[in-house]
Amino acid sequence: MKIQVNEQALEVSDNTNIEQLLFQLDKPLIGSAVAINQEIISRSSWIDTVIHEGDKISLFQAIAGG
Amino acid sequence: MLFKELQSKDKLIIGDKSFTSRLFTGTGKFNDQRTMVAALKASRSELVTMALKRVDMQHQDDDILAPLIKNGMNLLPNTSGARNAKEAVFAAELAREALQTNWVKLEIHPDPKYLLPDPIETLKAAEVLANKGFIVLPYIHADPVLCKHLEAAGCAAVMPLGAPIGSNKGIKTAEFLEIIIEQANVPVIVDAGLGSPSHAALAMEMGADAVLVNTAIAVAGDPVAMSEAFAKAVEAGRQAYLSGLGGQSTQAIASSPLTAFLEASL
Repeated sequence: MKIQVNEQALEVSDNTNIEQLLFQLDKPLIGSAVAINQEIISRSSWIDTVIHEGDKISLFQAIAGG
Repeated sequence: MLFKELQSKDKLIIGDKSFTSRLFTGTGKFNDQRTMVAALKASRSELVTMALKRVDMQHQDDDILAPLIKNGMNLLPNTSGARNAKEAVFAAELAREALQTNWVKLEIHPDPKYLLPDPIETLKAAEVLANKGFIVLPYIHADPVLCKHLEAAGCAAVMPLGAPIGSNKGIKTAEFLEIIIEQANVPVIVDAGLGSPSHAALAMEMGADAVLVNTAIAVAGDPVAMSEAFAKAVEAGRQAYLSGLGGQSTQAIASSPLTAFLEASL
């Protein structure tokens, strides 16, 4: 199915959860934050949160800063 | 009271954490990760700031988090990039998920030229975040009235600026920082603009509880050595403050007895 991650189209398998998506994108679990359709998904719900066709995922990452 | 007696009781407590070092550091602008980690270690800082950004899907960012966690540093995510209270609250909630901490350096600076903090939006966001259980450290102008409002809103500390972010100009807000420090019931952390160890020492001599330094260390010719210099300056400034600085006078006050023996020997 098709989803969008940070405005980029992406193909993922049905029933992909957030943790699996991060693995697929080769992004670290620590230091990442995820919102689906502007709603922040808490880390403890990543495994239970299944992505749906057309979802707009926002992916954030901790970086250096002052 | 003697410094040694005061020093034994001299602990900085913010929210649920106690700090030995009064130098907080930023992680931005370092040339490379190895230098950053070495400089942060040399600073003996126990609280380091981080930012959050939308992931660039085409580009793999360095993992700067692992070495910071490995070295036992407490992380203070900021809300840099937020232009209003709503964006700052969203950024703080994302940061809480990303870094698993409810500490946040609240910064809202909509103007990219001077990066001056927006006091109205900052107060609004501080109220919301404190109610949501965040340990809120707001970056603000050196405004004593705003500081009291932020304190009433439940902020764990206040972070008034010395000069614009990254300007290295030092403490241009001294008169107002003094009022803030005199009135504060929460720790006062002087943030932004501290360009040299003497600026940091001055802030500490004035009675600031801590300082936050990033640019001056990160862009130094030798960031690791500069980090040590800042650590010494902060310690010296705190020691001077606790030791009780002498008062100033417009007229000279002799340090030697003014006897007339020189004239007598002629």
